[in-house]
Amino acid sequence: MTRTNTRRLIFLVVFLGVALPLIFNIDLTHHATPETRQAYTNIESLPDSAIVLVSFDFEASSWAEIKPLAEVLLAHVFARNLRVVGVSLFAEGTTLGEQILAAIAAEKGREYGVDYCYLGYRPQYVAAILGMGESITAEFPADYYGAPTKNLPLFADLHNYDQVNLVISIADGSMPTYWTEYAVAPYGVNLEVALTATMATAYYPYLSSGQISGLLAGLKGAAEYELLLKQAGGGKRGLFAQSVSQVVIMLVIIAGNVADYFRRRKPWK
Amino acid sequence: MEISTLVAVFFTMAIFSFLYRDNPFYRLAEHVLIGLSVGFTLVLLFNSVLLPKLFQPLFGSHDLWSLIPLALGLSMFAGLKKSWGSYSKPALALMIGSGAGVSIPAMMEARVLRQMASAIEPFSRMGAGESVGLWFIVTILISLIGVATVMIYFFYTRPETKPVTFVSQVGIYFLMVFFGATFGYTVTSRLTLLIGRLEFLLGDFLGLI
Amino acid sequence: MIRKVATIVAFATGLFMLVQYFLNADIVSLIYRALLDYYQIIFAMTMIVGGITLFLNHARTIAHGQRAGWYSGATIAAILFMIIAALIYGTGADSPYQWAFNNMQAPMQATTFSLLAFFVASAAYRGFRVRSRAAAVLAISALLVLIGRNAFGEMISEYLPQAAGWLLNHPSVAAKRGILIGIGLGSVATALRVILGIERTYL
Repeated sequence: MTRTNTRRLIFLVVFLGVALPLIFNIDLTHHATPETRQAYTNIESLPDSAIVLVSFDFEASSWAEIKPLAEVLLAHVFARNLRVVGVSLFAEGTTLGEQILAAIAAEKGREYGVDYCYLGYRPQYVAAILGMGESITAEFPADYYGAPTKNLPLFADLHNYDQVNLVISIADGSMPTYWTEYAVAPYGVNLEVALTATMATAYYPYLSSGQISGLLAGLKGAAEYELLLKQAGGGKRGLFAQSVSQVVIMLVIIAGNVADYFRRRKPWK
Repeated sequence: MEISTLVAVFFTMAIFSFLYRDNPFYRLAEHVLIGLSVGFTLVLLFNSVLLPKLFQPLFGSHDLWSLIPLALGLSMFAGLKKSWGSYSKPALALMIGSGAGVSIPAMMEARVLRQMASAIEPFSRMGAGESVGLWFIVTILISLIGVATVMIYFFYTRPETKPVTFVSQVGIYFLMVFFGATFGYTVTSRLTLLIGRLEFLLGDFLGLI
Repeated sequence: MIRKVATIVAFATGLFMLVQYFLNADIVSLIYRALLDYYQIIFAMTMIVGGITLFLNHARTIAHGQRAGWYSGATIAAILFMIIAALIYGTGADSPYQWAFNNMQAPMQATTFSLLAFFVASAAYRGFRVRSRAAAVLAISALLVLIGRNAFGEMISEYLPQAAGWLLNHPSVAAKRGILIGIGLGSVATALRVILGIERTYL
């Protein structure tokens, strides 16, 4: 088989490995990892009406993975009667963050300006994170829709990180690193992160050191959180397809090694 | 079917067509994507930064201090003409200098001191007389050896003696564990993105799921 | 002369931002806030310069009658569409600006990244070959995470997720922690070089 044909065969196998389980979906039993439980307990332990600052730090490219995480976290936060302030430090996260925040708030019957608000985008994350530490209303004189933030009832008792009980960074890149450096270190912010799976390994040291108080990663993380929240969502829906396709990739790795072994038959160096 | 779904399907398929090979549909989609992203970001930056932080204070409140960032910001346009390029350097220096200054305490605390403390902290629990199992001791020793050997591996000016080379080799094994785990998670992440697109094509478009 | 001014600006702002961390005075806070705002404004202007440069490059491609001119035309049309649509109709939920983002930009971005699922599988077939002990450790670690963070893995044995959890929480953390400390020390050294004017490559 030529190199191009092998490549196309692998593409086909991956396509079928994802498409078929999506069409013939099965509910799989699974359990929440300690990391997910910790993230859940973290929100569960906040007092009533506590303020949660949710930062939508992602691009549209990772929306498929971020959406179930954002949905389940916002559902939990609103169900717990916590107040939410939404911001975005990535350009494309601005619009998607606004859409999901507005949708879940409407679903849970929350009132804009009182129970939640959306402040929109600020570039240069270092300046934005540090600026909010000084004064959130100075950093965001107006909300995403152009209304002066100081007129919103939510800001009657909210000035900076001192009044924020939890920051959740929903991210697909290294933004939580900057939150730890410029919000956790100087202001002692309580930070929880929801990440695409690819970023997860980079944040275990921060979890271990206590710089972040909760870590939720990938579609599996979202599915585990849905399990704890007793709510079906995007995580549960995609879990079977993800599990099957992961096995497909494992088989591809093993097949590559078997083919290599028979071609070379050389011992390890 | 809504026109918006059909447009999204067309551009999704145009990008997927690259799996077969490079073709005019893919290249068109790629160029449209670049243009849309640039236009989207420029509008957002104007609305989110320039309007509330520069133009409203300057023209709304007549805040003359805003002339300073206006001058610094406009100096960046000097970069468009090669012979004027140096005029943008002070504004660039302000960004790089202030970024450097603010990063020193943040990096020292968040990356160096807290991480070092966390590597050593489990030993203090033992020192404080807390009863721990053998597996706990093995685990924290492995962790500490990992941190030390990886740091030695990245210490490029190390002497190339046999013991040091051996230690850095151990560091490589720890790095392989980290990279392997990251690869496993990265594969998972990419598959999820594909699940998202196929959910759209098979569900929203074809109605199969 | 202008480079000297730039070096002094980098030194002064760098030193100020470093020192303010330890100070608590109103005037310091005022300058600090102003500098943070300047930072964002200069960044926004820089992005506009980048946008103009991209626009001019594509306009040049069209003017020279190159074969890629059609594609450059698409890029320019897309930039202009977003800006003009935002100017005329605003950026609200029902605006053409949002429509183009939701139905063109976001699906294309997502699809581009989803292609990586295919390429990563192809790369795994060719590149993940166990030809040394280090490569074996790499492969075992990847496979353990793949099966340990998988619903089937949980069904096979409860020890698989536990083993993956141990690997992620201890040896993997140790390696990443070593990298983090190294990067942290390196970044501090570089920042000091910038403030002291030793590192001036950006000039």
